[in-house]
Parts: sequence; C-alpha cells; structure tokens
Amino acid sequence: MARTKIVLAGEGGHGVQSIAKILVEAGYAANKKVLYIPNFGVEQRGGVSIAFCQISDKEIGEPRFSKGDIVIMLSDRAIDRCSIYVDKDSTVVYDSSICNTRPELNAKEIIGIPANQIANDEISARVFNIIILGVVIKATGVLDIQDIKDAMIAAFGKKFDENPELKEMNFKALEKGIELMETKASV
Amino acid sequence: MVKKLITEDTKLFMTGNEVIAYAAVAAGAEFMYGYPITPQNEVMHTWCKLLPKTEAGFLQTEDEISAGFSTLGGILAGKKAFTATAGPGNVIMQDAMSMAEMMRIPFVCVILQRGGPSTATVIYSQQETTLTCFGGNGEGHRIVYSTAGHQDLYDYTIKSFNTAWKYKFPTYVLADGYQGKMREPFVAYDPESKGIRMIPATPSLRAEGLVGVDRKAVHMRNTFNMEEELMEVLDSFEEEFNAIAPEVQEYQEYKADDADILIIAHGIVARSACTAIDELRAKGIKAGLFRPITLRPLAVEPLRRAVESSKQLLFAESANGQLARLVFEKIYGLTTPYETLYKMGVGITGGDIVEKVEQMDGAIACR
Repeated sequence: MARTKIVLAGEGGHGVQSIAKILVEAGYAANKKVLYIPNFGVEQRGGVSIAFCQISDKEIGEPRFSKGDIVIMLSDRAIDRCSIYVDKDSTVVYDSSICNTRPELNAKEIIGIPANQIANDEISARVFNIIILGVVIKATGVLDIQDIKDAMIAAFGKKFDENPELKEMNFKALEKGIELMETKASV
Repeated sequence: MVKKLITEDTKLFMTGNEVIAYAAVAAGAEFMYGYPITPQNEVMHTWCKLLPKTEAGFLQTEDEISAGFSTLGGILAGKKAFTATAGPGNVIMQDAMSMAEMMRIPFVCVILQRGGPSTATVIYSQQETTLTCFGGNGEGHRIVYSTAGHQDLYDYTIKSFNTAWKYKFPTYVLADGYQGKMREPFVAYDPESKGIRMIPATPSLRAEGLVGVDRKAVHMRNTFNMEEELMEVLDSFEEEFNAIAPEVQEYQEYKADDADILIIAHGIVARSACTAIDELRAKGIKAGLFRPITLRPLAVEPLRRAVESSKQLLFAESANGQLARLVFEKIYGLTTPYETLYKMGVGITGGDIVEKVEQMDGAIACR
C-alpha cells in the first residue's frame, strides 16, 4: 500500500501517543514518509486521546485524513469518538477486555483483542500499549519488527539499560500483540 | 552572540514547535519572551532546553500582555527577540502588537492557532487569520506568512526575522496546532550556507554614543496630539506597505494553470487540497490550487489572474470564511462563481474537498 493511515484511540494514560511516536520513529528510520498528529482535549488526565499516523512510500499531502485503514479503539468512549474514521475498507481493532460493547460498524473487519487483560495476566499492566503496538505492526504490515524494536530501544534506551527485564517485558508484549493479531483472538 | 546549533544541512524528525525553536536559533534570535499556552508551549520548552548550548536568553512573563511588551522592550534595546502564542494569548497580545505597528518595531511572533472563540479547543483551527492580520486598533500594517508544514516552519521562521528587521513592520508566522504538535521530517540548515544573510539587530533606543554628537536623537512615537498628525504618519505607513508588497508577497500554485475549479486555501488546508487535486484529476476533474503564503500582503495580481482564468472557485478553510473575506476585497469586479467548504475549528481532509468538489456545478459539467 502506498499510504497507510492509522488511527489509535484510547483513554488518556493508555499510552497511545507513546506508541504512535515509536511507530512513526520506526517508519522514519526505515526511510518511509511519515506524519503523526496527536489529538487530545484540555484534560491533564483522562479524556479520549487520539493519534493520527500516516506511513507512506510517497510524499504525504493531507495531514489529517477522513478514514483510517486501521482504526484502534481502546475504550467505549474511543469507539464513540472514532467511528467517523471507519468505512468499509477499514480494519477495526478494539480491546474486548475494556470495551463493554463490540463496535457495530460497517467495516472490512472488526477484531476484538483482550490486550489489557492479557497484559495484566501474562506480562504486566504497564506494557498494555506495547501489545497494541504489536497488533498495529501486524495489521499494517508496512514495517519490520526489527525497525520497531530499534525505535523502542531509541525511545527507552536508558530505562532498558538500567533494567534489562523491562526490555524483555516490552519485547515480549510486542511479540504477544503480533501473535494475537495473527490468530485474531476474540473473547 | 548566540551559538549556532546547525552548521550543515541536517534531516531532522521532530514536532513543529521544536522546528520553530531550532529555526529561531538558526536565525540568530537572542531572546524569547513568552507565556505558556497550548499548543505553543513546546516552542518555549525547546528554546529553553537549548539555552545551555545556544547561550541565548528567555523570560517567562506573567501573561501575554507582558510577553508582548517585553519582546518590544528587548527589541528596542537591540536584541533580536521574539515571542510565540496562541488563541486567547494572541487576543491579549494585540495591544503590544499594535504598538509594534505604530512605532515600527521589528516584532516577530509565531502563532499556533487553536479553536476559538475564547478557550474553545487546544487543538487546531484557522480562526486567528483575521486577528493576526488585522487585530489591534490599527490598519493591519503587518506581514503574515501562513505555513503548511515543517519545512515551511523552518524557512519562514528564519525569513520572518529578516522581513521584520528590513521593513520594520511586525511579522508573523501563522501556523496552527496541527503543525505545532505533528511530527514530520524536514531539512534544517544554516541560513548563511544558502546565501541568506541575517540582518543584525541594532538598538533603537539607548544606542552607544552621545545624542546630537555621535548619533541622531531617536523619537519613536505612539502618541499624537492632532488627528492630522496621526494621519500623516499612517498615510506614510500605508504607502510604504503597498510599495514593499510586490517584493514581500508570496504564493504557491498547484496545477492551477488549466484548472476549471480553483481551490483557494492557506496553511495546512492547502496541503489537503493538493491531495484532493491529485484524486480529482485522476477522475477527470481539472482542479487546481491557489495558496496565498503571505496573507498580508496578498499577492493580488497572481490571485486575480488565477481567479479570472478558472470557471469556479472553492474556498476551503478551518474557519468561517476568514481567508475568503481577505480575498473578496482583492478580487472585486471579477465574476467567477464560488462555493465554500468552511469547517470552523475543524481539520479539512483531502476527502472532504473531493466530496465537495464533486458536488459542484463545474465538476458536474466535466462529466
């Protein structure tokens, strides 16, 4: 695909802006054209936080786009806010362990992944967003896993050096996300 | 002297607010005055983070009224100073900006537009177009560059300092919250390496030497006793502003030459228009773009030519026709029909423009 448009939406504090940053840094390092706009309200905490990301082989014109190829929804409010970015060509991924209802949308595919629960049960609540990053990587298929790992090292290098366990945990979460998307886990 | 950070062409990937701070350093700016307001904060943060390396100065004032006047003070003392603000900050800084107009102070300000009126949103808009061009109790003797992305932010922030110091009209870089917060790559450079000579700052007041012996007395006025006295000064400003317009005005056209439908948009919306134009052309609809880069002064002759040669116009703005009002005055007498796509305080996508154009008579006639 010449241009991939990604919408990441969750609650403030979910870490969607952090993973958006890693995603575009990885794209930039891989010599792709990238553009990322964060979008949030006046709240210090909470509220719906949205990241609009584009990864492209050609120059990017419009900074904001109408419909996403991949739309990630991590809360009920995120579903409400971001349904307008979904059309019949969109792949929608929602967190089935956070959202109370499955989004009813006219989309190409709607996939429920209990990322939050898996993070809590199997790894750590702290890496919930990294599982989602893995999901995005698999869903888009425009970036190599190694590019993402390099971008994570660049972002968290110091913390990783101080605590190698943290690095292991994050990489494990990334791979878990990829695996979940491969099997399209639904609960 | 401020220390340079960028000595050779360097590709960087950062947010627009960071770009602005790096550009101000590259332009040789010595001092920033400011007061925090989203989405402008990171201009200040980045400027301050760079201070140990640049050895420049920074003062956080108690509000934007003070930030504006402190900037004027710094400039009068001979520092290449600037400020940046947004939304309500832009509103309350107008008093200082008016003084800059009246006293011909080379004031430089970067505006990151957010939703309005009042606090509204911290995100994005193009609703500070009228305010930035014509705010204050004056005649809008200001130069306003509207940017459309990170390379523009770097180029025009540098340029705004030279424009301000050359012509002594307050000069603005009009951007928006998207540009401030978004990340995209651009190339940073040392202006000198591109043959751009930065005009050095000189003190307007309290210069060295003895008045009447070493230098002339300086008389900068913003108070007048007689109506006629004021008009004489403003007439000379108006004349000068019109005289420099041809060398200051800038615009960009995209596939406008043979366009049936001419989209008129500025700033980041113009980029969405380019995406839309490619899509429309693929469908056989001849669309094109006229993007004023300087909103003050507008490039009137090229604008009139483009409007006259097209069959229909579309004004696309994240405001309720603030650019259109500037344009209408300058295309008086032309009869090209127009339609509008106004989304107040909301981003406009290529898809929005495609959808709108496809419903227009001109496009339907193409089929």
